[in-house]
Amino acid sequence: MDELGGEQAIRLLATMWRIRLFEERVGQLVRAGEIDGLIHLSTGQEGVAAAVCSQLRDDDHVYSGHRAHGHAIAQGASLGRVMAELMGRDTGLCRGLGGSMHLVDVEHGFMGATGVVGGNVPIALGSALAARLRGLDTVSVVFFGDGAVQAGHFTETVNLATLWRLPLILVCENNGFAEFTPRSAHTVVERVSDVVAPYGLGRVTVDGNDVQATWDAFGGFLQSARAGGGPFLLECLTHRVRGHYEGDPGRYREALAEEEWQEKDPIIRLERHGVAEEWFAEDELRGVAAGAAEEVEDAVRFGRESPLPPAGIVESMVYADA
Amino acid sequence: MAHELPYIAAILEAIQLEMERDESVLYFGQNMATTENEPFVDAFGNDRVRVTPISETAEIGIAIGAALAGYRPVVELYMAEFMLVAMDQVLNEAPRFRGMSGGQVTVPIVLKAGYGFTAGWAGQHTGTLSALFMGVPGLKVAVPSTAADAKGLMATAIRDDNPVVYLHHYLLTLDHGEVPDGEYLVPFGEASVRREGSDVTIVGTGWTVDRALGAAERLAGEGIQAEVIDPRTIAPLDLQTILESVDKTGHLVLVDQATRHASVSTVIAGEVAEHGFGSLKAPIVQVTGLDATIPYSEPLEAYVLPDDDKVVAAVQRVLGTAHVTA
Amino acid sequence: MSAPQGVEKLEREHLVWIYRQMSRIREFEERVKRTFEEHPGVIRGHTHLADGAEASIVGSIANLGPDDWFFTTYRCHGYPIARGTDPKVMMAEIYGRKDGLCKGLGGSMHLTDVSNGFLGTSGIVGAGIPHATGAAWAAQIRGKGQVVLCFFGDGASKQGAFFESLNIASLWKLPIVFVMENNGYNVHTRTEQEDANRAAGEDLSVKAKAFSMPGVTIDGRDPLEVYETVRTAVVRARAGEGPTLVESQMYRLSAHGNIIAPPGVPLHFPEHEAIEKFGAPEEYEAAKQGDPVPAFRGRLVADGVLTGEEAAAIAEEVREELQAAVDFGLQSPFPEVETALEYTYA
Repeated sequence: MDELGGEQAIRLLATMWRIRLFEERVGQLVRAGEIDGLIHLSTGQEGVAAAVCSQLRDDDHVYSGHRAHGHAIAQGASLGRVMAELMGRDTGLCRGLGGSMHLVDVEHGFMGATGVVGGNVPIALGSALAARLRGLDTVSVVFFGDGAVQAGHFTETVNLATLWRLPLILVCENNGFAEFTPRSAHTVVERVSDVVAPYGLGRVTVDGNDVQATWDAFGGFLQSARAGGGPFLLECLTHRVRGHYEGDPGRYREALAEEEWQEKDPIIRLERHGVAEEWFAEDELRGVAAGAAEEVEDAVRFGRESPLPPAGIVESMVYADA
Repeated sequence: MAHELPYIAAILEAIQLEMERDESVLYFGQNMATTENEPFVDAFGNDRVRVTPISETAEIGIAIGAALAGYRPVVELYMAEFMLVAMDQVLNEAPRFRGMSGGQVTVPIVLKAGYGFTAGWAGQHTGTLSALFMGVPGLKVAVPSTAADAKGLMATAIRDDNPVVYLHHYLLTLDHGEVPDGEYLVPFGEASVRREGSDVTIVGTGWTVDRALGAAERLAGEGIQAEVIDPRTIAPLDLQTILESVDKTGHLVLVDQATRHASVSTVIAGEVAEHGFGSLKAPIVQVTGLDATIPYSEPLEAYVLPDDDKVVAAVQRVLGTAHVTA
Repeated sequence: MSAPQGVEKLEREHLVWIYRQMSRIREFEERVKRTFEEHPGVIRGHTHLADGAEASIVGSIANLGPDDWFFTTYRCHGYPIARGTDPKVMMAEIYGRKDGLCKGLGGSMHLTDVSNGFLGTSGIVGAGIPHATGAAWAAQIRGKGQVVLCFFGDGASKQGAFFESLNIASLWKLPIVFVMENNGYNVHTRTEQEDANRAAGEDLSVKAKAFSMPGVTIDGRDPLEVYETVRTAVVRARAGEGPTLVESQMYRLSAHGNIIAPPGVPLHFPEHEAIEKFGAPEEYEAAKQGDPVPAFRGRLVADGVLTGEEAAAIAEEVREELQAAVDFGLQSPFPEVETALEYTYA
């Protein structure tokens, strides 16, 4: 298993800054009316996406839910093509057909996001089955929130994954809220890892905003899964800074005070950690955020300059050709 | 007496009035009843108003069980597509129990769901599934297009002893309308003639009623008087009103946001072809959504959906008055 | 009326009642099965028998009071019998006749008897679990101390509806007892082939931990153990403390159901899957040795609760009762065809 060291940590920070600044920019564009539709931002949860996806390969399969931008980006999707997709352009990942909740980037193994909570969990299991049948060492990873755990198809999947011992890694971003309601409205069981406990799969709960801890935990599972083990569940306790969707007035919870967020922020913590570990010096970090900001602006420009898709592509995308 | 309300508020007003009137009415679903000062919780308490986890199969199944036990649950499902997660409970459980038990039980549930989120909500949130529920014996389907109808149909749905799928269109959410005060019931199986005319009959449901009305305005400018009919409920379906209109106008255009073979319009077309053949002076024309998963990008989304222009063109085709462009 | 109705200490009359109900269920199911041979064509479609489950069924139902409700599965004959539904109208229903419990409209898989708290049966695996949960919510609102028993098989415990319902029942502390009858098979799949817990050699009641719910595994062939365990759970539920998952282990003595065959092929009951499919006749033989009905009879006679003559008298009464049920069913006319349209809408 790879250690999280200097080089890797800088790369993770770059990914996290890319996601952070991308999401911020998308929020602005939504408010300005340049991006429409239903948008869910992953601001605050970057640590999980980065720690997990940076250890994966392009031939692994990654699935996500409606809050998928960060996962797609962490898995290697180009910022420009994601932005263009959100702007409904022909150069978007899905030629403007999918939008925010339906990003797909097969080239990088990002097999899809879904708008139906938990919908991709059984699908991810299918990819894990395929990997095992082919005798490959690839894994299938699915990101979902704590809300998805109460949907019946979640445990249906856990039963089969455990029974068949498949290389599926379930990554739960437990931010304590499912849409507009706290976890306590959904179940009496606080920890997602306790919900799956009866099935005996390898599982652990980590502070999802502690990139080192998340990296280590996921890395351990990944190594096992590639060697024929599985399934595993990684519960990442994290925090969703924005509302459920852009436009959500968020009256159902108390906003975190700025100081409190500073303590939790995965980016700040990784920077501090890296400096403390002497992986890098503080002044080396300045360029990272700036570089990400530039990439994001390039992406916005790319999106704005891209053409809209021609109406005719709609019919051609309904069925695969015979 | 009447007051102005947005469509969505009219629906909630009906639920509130019914819950006041009948303490067996329950209202529950995801993302509700979790904080203080929620009007329904304040008024009716946590016994009758509850939040559920994301568990559509259980939510709808629980509604059925509570109904079998004498209550009248209204399930807040938010989006019609979420019913797909639990289609067994909707199509194969709720409507079947009365028949299978030889009439011993009733299942008075209301499945309330928004549909047609065609505002960039993309492939899985924007469908129009109304016709999936038509033709399931035991199931009724209401599709209001105005605030007043939204209130009246919800009240009727709650009082109906059968399972009702109540679909309210997302794009109509904030449409204001005059809503009668107090108790107001719109019967099922009674279409509304929204505009009278004698040249062509246009039938639409939900959001497409406005497409039909918009087209009718433009056509009036060309001297064509369109009669616009809104069935309001598609199960039961008021075929009689449609047939009478077709008898008068001789021409029929059907508008539906759903895809053609899964549309209400296809069902109506079949019925009119069989029962109103003698009245028709031209073939029936349907304006439906195109056969595609609704795309995200705005111009593509618009491309696949019906609009006023497409309805106008259809009428012109039916009347043989289409302008030929050089 | 010697139904225990949840009494804390079972007296002789209760024990005899339990034995009688078990016998009635066994005889009913035998007569259903014999109908395929003796009156071919009378039973159509698919029917599922509860022979082997009598101890669990009666031990559970014996805990219900007059206002309580229960829900079950397509294997539904036993429960209403124990609850007091007339076997005559049940048989007529299974024969599709006008005098049937559901006027011939439901058939074997959809028995309903509202007068006995039997509010309706789904034939879809797991689908009744949310229904029972909803009835429990109704009971909670009413606040009259009603309880709901929800019966399902081990096969249903992999269905999404199971997880969703148990989670909500636990969250809302609903007055419900979930009774999972684990007979080792789901149609012709063995539990360990489809269940991660069973495959790991665990009891299925461990699934309850996912909901912070008490779970217990018992020998479903001992009606008194079932009675006592379900009683504890019912008391807990009535007290507002929430649900319990009871895994009642047993063996199904008939095949899953009669064969499913295209029209023209006579329907019949095949041998149990252990014999027909898995080539394990010894498994079946062992299960037959543990048949709960003769076992309980033997125990009552050995304990002096019943004499041999009394047991024989009960057997004869039951035989007569069920013969009358078969005769009633066969003599009942078919419903008028218009009945098909009468109960679609309220």
